[in-house]
Amino acid sequence: MKNPALALLGAAACVVLGLVAPLDDYLIKLLMQAATYAIAVLGLTIVLGYTGQISLAQAAFFGIGAYGVALGSTGLGLSFFAALALGTLLAGLFGVLLGGSTLKLGGHYLAMVTISFQEILTLVLTNWVGLTHGPDGVANIPRPTGLVAAPRYLALCLLVLFATAWAVGALKRRPLGLAMQAVRDNELAASVVGVNTYRVKIIAFALSALLGGLGGGLFAGAFRYISPDQFSFDDSVVLLTMALLGGVEAATGSVIGTALLVLLPEWLRFLRQFYLAVYGLAVILIMVFMPAGIWGFLAGLRPRRVAMPQPGGLVLGRAAGEGALLEVVGLAKHFGGLRAVDGVDLRVLAGEVHALIGPNGSGKTTTLNVLSGLYRPTGGSVRLAGREVAGHAPHLLAAAGLGRTFQNIRLFHSLTAFENVLIGAQAAGGAQAAERAAAALDFVGLADRAGAIAASLPYGHQRMVEIARALAGNPALLLLDEPAAGLNLTEKQALGQLLDRLRGLGVTLLLIEHDMDLVEQVADRITVLNFGKRIADGTPAEVLRHPEVVAAYLGEEAGHEFA
Amino acid sequence: MSLLELREVDAAYGAVQALRGVSLSVARGEIVALLGANGAGKSTTLRAISGLLRPAGGTILFDGQPIGGLHPERVVRLGIAHVPEGRRVFPGLSVRENILLGASNRRASRAEMAQDASAMFALFPDLVRFADAPGWTLSGGQQQMLALARGLMAKPTLLLLDEPSLGLAPLIVQQVFRIIRQIRETGTTVLLVEQNARVALSIADRGYVLETGRLAVSGAPAELWNNEEVRAAYLGGRVAKAG
Amino acid sequence: MSIALQLLFTGIGIGAVYALVALGFVLIYRATNVVNFAQGQFAMLGAFGMVITTEGLGLPYWLGILLTLAAMALFGALFNLGVYYPLRHRSFLPVVISTIGASILLTNGVLATYGPEPATLPGLTDLPGLNFGGLFLDSQYLAIIAITLVLVVLQYLFFERTLLGKKLQATSQDKEMASLLGIPVAGMIMLTFVYSAVLGGIAGILVAPILFVSVGLGAQIALKAFAASIIGGFGDIPGAIAGGLAIGVIETFGAFYISVPYKDAYAFVLLFAFLLLRPQGLFGEKVSQKA
Repeated sequence: MKNPALALLGAAACVVLGLVAPLDDYLIKLLMQAATYAIAVLGLTIVLGYTGQISLAQAAFFGIGAYGVALGSTGLGLSFFAALALGTLLAGLFGVLLGGSTLKLGGHYLAMVTISFQEILTLVLTNWVGLTHGPDGVANIPRPTGLVAAPRYLALCLLVLFATAWAVGALKRRPLGLAMQAVRDNELAASVVGVNTYRVKIIAFALSALLGGLGGGLFAGAFRYISPDQFSFDDSVVLLTMALLGGVEAATGSVIGTALLVLLPEWLRFLRQFYLAVYGLAVILIMVFMPAGIWGFLAGLRPRRVAMPQPGGLVLGRAAGEGALLEVVGLAKHFGGLRAVDGVDLRVLAGEVHALIGPNGSGKTTTLNVLSGLYRPTGGSVRLAGREVAGHAPHLLAAAGLGRTFQNIRLFHSLTAFENVLIGAQAAGGAQAAERAAAALDFVGLADRAGAIAASLPYGHQRMVEIARALAGNPALLLLDEPAAGLNLTEKQALGQLLDRLRGLGVTLLLIEHDMDLVEQVADRITVLNFGKRIADGTPAEVLRHPEVVAAYLGEEAGHEFA
Repeated sequence: MSLLELREVDAAYGAVQALRGVSLSVARGEIVALLGANGAGKSTTLRAISGLLRPAGGTILFDGQPIGGLHPERVVRLGIAHVPEGRRVFPGLSVRENILLGASNRRASRAEMAQDASAMFALFPDLVRFADAPGWTLSGGQQQMLALARGLMAKPTLLLLDEPSLGLAPLIVQQVFRIIRQIRETGTTVLLVEQNARVALSIADRGYVLETGRLAVSGAPAELWNNEEVRAAYLGGRVAKAG
Repeated sequence: MSIALQLLFTGIGIGAVYALVALGFVLIYRATNVVNFAQGQFAMLGAFGMVITTEGLGLPYWLGILLTLAAMALFGALFNLGVYYPLRHRSFLPVVISTIGASILLTNGVLATYGPEPATLPGLTDLPGLNFGGLFLDSQYLAIIAITLVLVVLQYLFFERTLLGKKLQATSQDKEMASLLGIPVAGMIMLTFVYSAVLGGIAGILVAPILFVSVGLGAQIALKAFAASIIGGFGDIPGAIAGGLAIGVIETFGAFYISVPYKDAYAFVLLFAFLLLRPQGLFGEKVSQKA
């Protein structure tokens, strides 16, 4: 639905369907229910489908919107649209509060907290009779002037649904939507390429609540009577099933799932009393056999197109300057009694390729994790381009010019190669981000694979996409954690050339690597760690013959004869 | 006949080919060292033998029987104990409990197990005073001792040891390797993966060197130690030639 | 004062039930890293098992208990095979959603079969209860507390004193290492599900006489048990018990001193307070980050 003309046409079709099509009252009610539910389900597309967070309170937000309209119009005397705005915003506000308190914790916390919120809301709606009219519910909810006739109101609902579906669908390819999917696919990697993951999760949850409220508000007008039992935990579950059945990762899927599950109970009347049980079974079966839902299954069958601009040359905007770009003094990271990094000093000069080596378990990756903000250091100082950055959050470090890759590649596996790199380029903004991403992908030689889903790429290409993603963030300092691991000989040679070309761009490299041929070939300086401490530092020739280094790698002094 | 024989074994982690046609053999009563730089495929070889990783191709024979692709629980019952990299001591269980669980592969009475556990405490006297302390409180060296003791409780015919020297101070490394030598003297065959070539070759009868998933060289310890290719695998080509 | 003591007694009684369900919940989480959202339904099924065997089939109470617990054990095994096992290699999200699906299936399956009318069950004992100078100790609550205490002690002895208990612990701490030692990991996980289902069944049997037996029972207890396990520090066994008791006591006091209709909300208010102020729970370590 990229085409605005197409969108207008669709909107017009909605209106015509509502106004002109010869529908009986019963069918109109059914369609109203499907449309208003679908709007709320689109909220789940954002929070669960795009962002990967489980919310089990969508019916609660739906209820807040519905009560906002009901009480706002009957009690406060607001106009319908003012009441709708009130209900929607109220739902969004609760979303922010709930998300803000929970989303820093692990995934299951949100599930539990949303269930709890759902239960509390049901209790409040039932028992706070003074405000909500209690179990009797609210009747005689007005519809907006001019849209009182059922077909007209249905047209409104369909129009709002259409606009919402269009917006949610478009969001998926926008920077915010990409950031959400990055959080879902790999939260850690998202943070080091500059995504403020906590903020993105809160926005996703709030948007989801907002859509829940919007759907609920329209629902109140549609049925003109609401009561607390319409917004219970069971209804949250129904909404969740709708999203999962249709395919939670796409707006289209949510609409399909909702339509099916609103209409199915009518078609499956013989199941009447068992139909919720069948929903439950369906959820399990979908998870086992068709985790992407109906639409996900269908969409997986056709290839993805990407709009990648023609790649230009990659220019890194942060000239290296002079002197030490990175200056680490006395860096320490302890895990309980284990001193993984124990007072490491490290000085990386601007424009150089600096290798960090040492036997397994010597603290190299931990050092990198501290430098990129994934671990908070126990002690010591880290200065990047003269600024103290020890303990800063990963996305802030990314903004300050730090890029990194991971030993076990961390791509956003369900996104295309280009989208992966594009997420890394977001700091550049707008069209420039796309150009930078295209240039970075071209730089690693993968412009022709831009539309391939990351998980489907061969291993060597995945490594290159990860490097391109880091480059797209315009880093002054690039941390590479064992880039040669798992590469075959040809790929290793290509990597060596790539690192030389990177040096030509003016980016400073800090490299962890076990392949000593590669280290010798590219490194200007080497720092050697053992037991979390620095044991040597200097040029490759000096360091690799340093007796302590030889001992650390081969054991004791070289040249010892065997009996 | 070899106790253990690998013929043209391939293995992969997802898209990453980790072993390409590795063939090696271990005779009864030997200590064989498997050397190579990080990422060369040493640990993967052990994981393929003990069943943690299903080989993509090739044959693994133990005592003449094919064991490739068997579940680890079955493999250890056949008499192959794998002491993995990083010791993997159960942090929440006491030292004694960790040791007792080592016998999970065989049917032993309580009395028998208690007796075998005492034998382990005799072999590793340093562990006695921590018998009731939880695993996570031990130092790296003590954890390595515990991991060895737990592995020996299986009464293995073949012991697979992955990087027993990892992160240990030189004195402790010597102590660990003294014990490995003792273990062999009791008739247990040992396949030893080490990054520390010096110490591994000092106790091994034979050695193999892996390079990016392939066997590069094999031979007697002294041969390997003076072999330039071996040094290059660790420290890079130019240094080895210059040195 | 005597009112406070009376409330404390009642609160501990109901809290003991929450603790039992929370315990099953934590055991499964430790063994499989799965948050089982159907745990409360285990209690609901246990309660209905009693209704079916004693009221429906007219069997004696003790036989009803035996049959119910046997059925729960079988159910735990089926639950593992149908809901967890096919998804064991997948990420956290599909497994959790699958258990949510199971919860819906169970609630509504029972609802469709038995209808919404709540059933009542006689208490475990006909004894009149005890009187301590104005403090009345109801026999059903006494039975709940006593049985919970015995179960907790037995479970402690099982985990701490038996080799099988140690193997279960080893499995939950490091599955790969456990399998290398020859511990049948799949069997251990099966055992955990069976035991958790039985534990849930016992909670249902205990609570049936003091609450009505209805399909809503499961969700009601499960939510308190979730809250209990978070308050206790996620994954912590003593924490789950302490959290369960705390919630039982707080909601009993809240119902008496503040308002009855909001009785079910106090647990969640407490939960939110913990999430904001002490997310690691009563005894939990600081929530750790992994790279």
